[in-house]
Amino acid sequence: MSGLKQLAFYPCEKVRDLMIDYLEDKLPSFKGIRFHLHLNTCAQCREYLILYRKAANASTFRKEDPHPEECLESVLRFLAQRGIGVSGDPAS
Amino acid sequence: MSLSAPTDFEEIDSPEFLKSLRADGVEGNTAFTALVKAANDRLFGFIRRQLSSREESLEVVQEVYLTLHKDLPGFAGKSRLTTWVFGQAHRKIMDRAADRKHARGETAGAGPGDGGQEGSAPPERLAPRNAVEALIGKAMESLPEQSLRIYHLRDVEGLSGEEAAEVMGIAPDEMRVQLHRARRHIVDWAREKMAAAGTKGKSGGEGGKA
Repeated sequence: MSGLKQLAFYPCEKVRDLMIDYLEDKLPSFKGIRFHLHLNTCAQCREYLILYRKAANASTFRKEDPHPEECLESVLRFLAQRGIGVSGDPAS
Repeated sequence: MSLSAPTDFEEIDSPEFLKSLRADGVEGNTAFTALVKAANDRLFGFIRRQLSSREESLEVVQEVYLTLHKDLPGFAGKSRLTTWVFGQAHRKIMDRAADRKHARGETAGAGPGDGGQEGSAPPERLAPRNAVEALIGKAMESLPEQSLRIYHLRDVEGLSGEEAAEVMGIAPDEMRVQLHRARRHIVDWAREKMAAAGTKGKSGGEGGKA
């Protein structure tokens, strides 16, 4: 392995452990270069990054647990029975 | 009355709203009702994803509101109100988990995926949008308890690293390490399943940073 290639070569595990820094824009430039050099030649790590990014952007899962409209009504009624809040139409 | 009611969860952080919440009489009561209306979806969802039973989740939501109401005068406002609300919910969930372990004669500390009680159905979910997201959703369920909470706070609920660390009562660096492990666990789990199902390479196109 040539000196340059050896310098550039990060193993997959190292690249995967740097993904949190990459997504947060915290990769120092030299590490960033080596990170990208690896990604350019490693399809598995590219795929890994796609999945890692999806896992890190999971706000869509907030909506994956539907609950009945009655939940809010029930909570407000519960609190009103204890003298907390104001009673009335919860939807208003 | 100076209340301008928040219409979504993030809006409860305004100083004016906090002032109204702390007011006596009708203003305080009206503000607390507005808080419940603005926070209920997010709060219920956060709790429901970590507890298996809808009924238990509703009980915990109610307990959280009672605690918020009782402790509001002591809320110093050093953190955001949203963070404080998640913190209270986190403590109630931890209490429930500890009670269940105690009842089963286990010690606290946790086996994987122990977010709910035995014998109850897993949280219901809408149909997944695609196979990869479905796998990520399933992978979440296999996370250890503490990792699951960190992941939910940070990547699902969108709290900052500092806020999530404050809720969990751990140092931000430790939170970041555990968050990364949780994400890697999810990815490794999903890749394993994809490889087994022969769906490798269908995870979508590569885009920019998060």
